[in-house]
Amino acid sequence: MEKIIETSALTYAYRAGSSKEVRALQNINMAVHKGEILAITGQNGSGKSTLARHFNGLLTPTSGRVLVNGLSTDDRNNIGEIRKKVGMVFQNPDNQLVSSIVEEDIAFGPENLGLPQSEIIERVDWALHILNLEELRRETPHNLSAGQKQQVAIAGVLAMKPECIILDEPTAHLDPRGRREVLESSLRLNREEGITLVLLTHFMNEVIHCSRMLIMDSGTVKVEGSPREVFLQGDEQIEKLKQMGLDYPVASRLAAGLNREGFNLPSDIIHHEEFIASLCQLTS
Amino acid sequence: MELTKNITLGVYLPGESAVHRLDPRTKIISVTLLIVLLLLARSYLAFGLVALFLAGMVYIAKIPPGYALRGLKPMLPVLILMWVFQLFLYQAPGTATLFQWWVFEATEAGLHMGNLIIMRVLFLFSVTTLLTLTTSVVSLTDGLENLLKPLRFIGIPYHELVMTLVIALRFVLILAEELEKIMKAQMARGVAFDRGNFIQKTKKVFPVFLPLFIGAFKRAEELIVAMDARSYTGGKGRTKMKTLRMGRVDFAAAVIMLVFTGIMIYIFTAFKAFI
Amino acid sequence: MPIDVINLSHSYKTGTPFEHKVLFDVNLHISDGEFVGLIGPTRSGKTTLAQYLNALYIPRQGRVLIDNENTADKKADLVSIRHRVGYVFQNPEYQLFAPTVGEDIAFGPINQNLPQEEIDRLVKGSMEMVGLDFNTFCHRDIFALSGGQKRRAAIAGVLACRPKVLVLDDITSGLDPRGREEIMKVVKDLHLSQNITILFISNSMDEVALLARRLLVMDNGKIIMDGPTREVFARTEKLRSIGLELPEISIIIDSLQSAGFNLPRGILTVDEAISEIAAALHLREGHQ
Repeated sequence: MEKIIETSALTYAYRAGSSKEVRALQNINMAVHKGEILAITGQNGSGKSTLARHFNGLLTPTSGRVLVNGLSTDDRNNIGEIRKKVGMVFQNPDNQLVSSIVEEDIAFGPENLGLPQSEIIERVDWALHILNLEELRRETPHNLSAGQKQQVAIAGVLAMKPECIILDEPTAHLDPRGRREVLESSLRLNREEGITLVLLTHFMNEVIHCSRMLIMDSGTVKVEGSPREVFLQGDEQIEKLKQMGLDYPVASRLAAGLNREGFNLPSDIIHHEEFIASLCQLTS
Repeated sequence: MELTKNITLGVYLPGESAVHRLDPRTKIISVTLLIVLLLLARSYLAFGLVALFLAGMVYIAKIPPGYALRGLKPMLPVLILMWVFQLFLYQAPGTATLFQWWVFEATEAGLHMGNLIIMRVLFLFSVTTLLTLTTSVVSLTDGLENLLKPLRFIGIPYHELVMTLVIALRFVLILAEELEKIMKAQMARGVAFDRGNFIQKTKKVFPVFLPLFIGAFKRAEELIVAMDARSYTGGKGRTKMKTLRMGRVDFAAAVIMLVFTGIMIYIFTAFKAFI
Repeated sequence: MPIDVINLSHSYKTGTPFEHKVLFDVNLHISDGEFVGLIGPTRSGKTTLAQYLNALYIPRQGRVLIDNENTADKKADLVSIRHRVGYVFQNPEYQLFAPTVGEDIAFGPINQNLPQEEIDRLVKGSMEMVGLDFNTFCHRDIFALSGGQKRRAAIAGVLACRPKVLVLDDITSGLDPRGREEIMKVVKDLHLSQNITILFISNSMDEVALLARRLLVMDNGKIIMDGPTREVFARTEKLRSIGLELPEISIIIDSLQSAGFNLPRGILTVDEAISEIAAALHLREGHQ
């Protein structure tokens, strides 16, 4: 599969070379494949955000290399191209939005790219349409809910037509409805527009929708695989994940618990629907 | 306690009135003109006319008049202080004394000067607020940038300047909200901001302003990173979604401003200033 | 220390074009020692209501009685009320300002003009309650703490006033699962060991399900449900209709019930679910 982002021996340290050096990332070798939804999870301080910021050149490696579509992030001349390909959405919508009118904020990115006016308008219309924000186009962000503001932030990144969007804990400060809306919008972007997603999150119910996941701990990638592989039942695995501060999805825990009681459910259940289906199967 | 209710500077009130639809350059030039007139005005008649003019604008822009005045509330304490200073400290030869208080002498000239200063500040603030209430951040940036473009010939980064100013404005309200939140948090720990003498009250400022400062820096940092991620590299190579185009409304506005300026200049020359 | 809210209404930004009413005739009684959860969609009025409980807002319409004292009374000592009703804000670490952890936690007691000995005792006790070792953290720079530690320090700062009632406003937001677990444990222990009345506002249905015995649901400025947690979460249709999610367990149990499984209402934890489902399955096997 084609790799959009690739890191080799990526190491990143704060205050590198001094006595106060802090290694945030150690020798990371990973890739983001075109079209996938990659979840990166791990405790606060595990290095997820630091890693993500290497994907669009906000940070550059202390040693090692990061390639985006074959372009190295070390070469500052590449940054323009890289930021066109890889967009990023952050946790706090208030600190991302620049303008006081929704449609103008969405235009900010395309304007920075120096696109002709007609194209900017087209892209803004398109982004508003995809995210169902058309009714809000002339609203001021101040009047919107946090979830809506976050969707405006996503629209602003979308308008740059990136190949990949990194979402850094986009739902951390949202209420349940806002979380659902942002997750649904993001999944739709992948499904319908083929945009690769990298989702940094703590929420297991978001992780299970991803095609592949990484668990980070203390600056390294400790676990890698599909959610199904990672959340395979087994005391050892459960303990391992617990050490890294993570829990299994609810459906997995239920299935594991019932299997301990002597029932025979598949050991790789992660979704509600599968759990219910297999229970129905058991009793038929 | 609701601080942010009274913040009108930097708030955008969406609307489609004639004032909203004016080209931002028209509005900026008009505001500049009004500011110059305000700085030259020295008679109550002149100020009265400005007040009428502003009231008219507020009406056309469909801004609730109560709301327009609200933004002045936070400034009142400072204004009163300034007025008192002028009343007692302004020196002008041959002016009548109004009354004595301890070692201080209140003069008629001082009274008028006090009034002058307050009116100037109030109107300056109102004019600027009227601008921000009816003009979005991007419009303001575009307008300012367009007008300041000639500055590039003397090497000034006009785009970045404008961008800074405009984002700062947007954050006035956000920071007011944060200030409110921090004050509430410290009140919840037993700080009474309304009690105590002047020194005690000043001490209480620290637990509020330090977190606010830090919060402001954090926000600024996050915003910079987000703008960076959207390929912002300053003014070079940027295009605009909206082109600035003057229309009939702007022509009408220009005429109105010219007439108004004419009347004001007449008043300056024909009527004696009170100072 | 009972709390009574009587016919309370509240409007924000009165007199501006942004005016809107956020509380409509709210009535509530909280008895001593209760653990009450409060959920509702954003802008349903949860935080506004909560801020009446520590007299950050004084009623213009309606009354609020804290320990039978009317907060609108001119003679009411609001500062004293705020020491007895502690309030922890969302992302409380943003309010930290003192150079060291110990000094910041001492801020509340210092405002109470207590003797230094007493202050030291309170600070030490609070730190222990939140799991911050006194010797390690007392003199540490607040900016040298991790996010989770900062949050615990902020909570300790509120606890230092030894409030009888504690309002916790979305205190787990932004934390990772482990951080959340730790805070929840602190809250649970506080309730059990100190018998503090707790109002727990949260956007996490799962947390509320685990901790609260009684649950309030707000929507559009009104309390629309008030009862034992299990009963409230059993009303899945109503909760969905106002845009609230259910705890994941409830969602699954709900679907199982629709699929024909005979399960009791109000299951809230994974362990409960496992034993109930197992029992239901055994029953089915028994019938086959």
